[in-house]
Amino acid sequence: MTGENVFQKNYEVLICKELFAGWVEGLRDDFKLIGPVGDGVNAEFREIASLKEANLDYQSTMLPPGKAYLFKPLEEIVLFNAGPGGVAAEEPPIPVQKQVLIGVHACDTHAVFYLDKVFLGAFTDPFYKARRENTFIISLNCKTVTDLCFCHLIGTGPYLKAQSGYDMLLTDMGGEFLVELKSERSKNLFNVKGRPPEAGDWQKKDEMETRLLKSFKKDFKADGLRQVFLSRPGHPVLKETAEERCLSCANCVMVCPTCFCHDVYDETDLSLTRIKRMRRWDACQDYFFAQVHGGNFRSERQARLRQFVFHKLDYEGQFGLKGTVGCGRCIRWCPTGIDLTEIAEEMMK
Amino acid sequence: MNPYLPFKAGITGIRRETGDVRTFRLELKNGLPSGAPGQFNMVGYPGVGEVPISFSLLPSKDSPLFEHTVRAVGRVTDFLAGFGEGDEIFLRGPFGRGWPVNEVKGKHLVLISGGLGLAPVRPVIQMADQLNAKRITLLHGARDPESILFETELKEWRKKGIDVKLTVDEPGEGWRFHAGIITEIIRPLKIEAAETLAFICGPEIMMRFSARELFLKNVPRSNVHVSIERRMRCGTGLCGHCQHGIWFVCKDGPVFSYQELSGYPDALL
Repeated sequence: MTGENVFQKNYEVLICKELFAGWVEGLRDDFKLIGPVGDGVNAEFREIASLKEANLDYQSTMLPPGKAYLFKPLEEIVLFNAGPGGVAAEEPPIPVQKQVLIGVHACDTHAVFYLDKVFLGAFTDPFYKARRENTFIISLNCKTVTDLCFCHLIGTGPYLKAQSGYDMLLTDMGGEFLVELKSERSKNLFNVKGRPPEAGDWQKKDEMETRLLKSFKKDFKADGLRQVFLSRPGHPVLKETAEERCLSCANCVMVCPTCFCHDVYDETDLSLTRIKRMRRWDACQDYFFAQVHGGNFRSERQARLRQFVFHKLDYEGQFGLKGTVGCGRCIRWCPTGIDLTEIAEEMMK
Repeated sequence: MNPYLPFKAGITGIRRETGDVRTFRLELKNGLPSGAPGQFNMVGYPGVGEVPISFSLLPSKDSPLFEHTVRAVGRVTDFLAGFGEGDEIFLRGPFGRGWPVNEVKGKHLVLISGGLGLAPVRPVIQMADQLNAKRITLLHGARDPESILFETELKEWRKKGIDVKLTVDEPGEGWRFHAGIITEIIRPLKIEAAETLAFICGPEIMMRFSARELFLKNVPRSNVHVSIERRMRCGTGLCGHCQHGIWFVCKDGPVFSYQELSGYPDALL
């Protein structure tokens, strides 16, 4: 037991924020630095030169960092060259740019785990895989919660409990960061000497978490939804919400950190010799999403709204994970304020 | 390996089945073809797109050639209709889970197909000799006598010992078989429910009512398998279009037991 403690001590340190910022800046030679810029819920993950530009007190972003920087909104997946000898297919170059995502909240880190299940599952997507391997994820425990956050009900936050799948976990302890190293490469890369945390520091961390957990506003029962969903797929709340409020604008899907659906289409250039097969984020809220010859399985708006709500809150059997991480983005960015947790609550009544 | 990278396949023959349905006999330019009954390929052409098409004939130890039977109904399939012998198309696959042919042994296999739905069932018939089924019955329904697929092969299938029963919605003159919907030829079928395994492929509404006829005969839901169709863009469970409940029809299906599909919305089943 004692040995274990000594072993772990090396990978958990408290260092002052300036020292940490200096270390991050040193990564610039090898990595593109990507961090949250802006305030409150309107921050944005973008390339930064140093931590001075970043705001680690941000609450949320419109686009989730994992999805935006691992699964690009638009990307070439196959290239074709048409010449006198016929058409030849070739693989587009695999991305090699190394990047650091700094300050990824617990919910968004869990969303990356979900994307891993999708893109590194039965079939491996070579582009996602390359980006994932080239991305160093520095997660950050939340300091505040928003009115729309419900990660505490899903088990994905506000403090990150996962022990692997990302590189580093930060907790803001006031003047210092508690840095927990979670991957082999972070242990190799992080060379800053700091103070080993003492019992009092861990206690402070626990207390901050407990205080934060008390500040959540949202509360709904996420368990037992499955039976309700399957027994009442035609519940009036779906119909009413779809017909009176839903615009099928697909904002909910675009900002969702776990929504992975994409369209595949071909782009031919004007010389008719270069053809790019592209993928582009797509949304189940789009009318044509489930259309086949002779019919459309979700031609009704109600069916499309239901697909989103059920896929996020149920259908856990798909990857063994809930489709939602409780980040609240789909509620925040819905122009008419549709709230999937309210729909679920209404159905549970 | 990039799962999006397609293979070239050469067209060695085209058979016009009915007005807008063609069967392409294909040969892969590189690599050995493979596949199981009920699996599909993403078939298409650069600049046009790809569509999921089930094998209508599999490569065998006698011939490396395989077939896809395609109805021209959209951008990609209309484009394919313009192809001739010697042309090349592109495909990826084989994808998905096919018919549970390993469960057929000792059972009465009931194949039920509607229209073009006979194409994905044909590879099962192709390997009928190896299935060790107690009995095989094929019930096929088509719009009219002219649109019955693989008509020239029916005699051969009967010679193999398969009990082939046909029905058409609009019988012409000289039609010797049943006229009416498919359920009317399922109903009189004598079966032992627990010993019966059914493979159904056709329009979803037809599969629904065909399955019901079998349930009325007490065939368990887990013994009734259907091959379903959904929009697909990747074939590999990544693009998300084919999601039906918890399933990705492309990688978990396209063949499912009725048991597996029960309870999910957005289907006619």
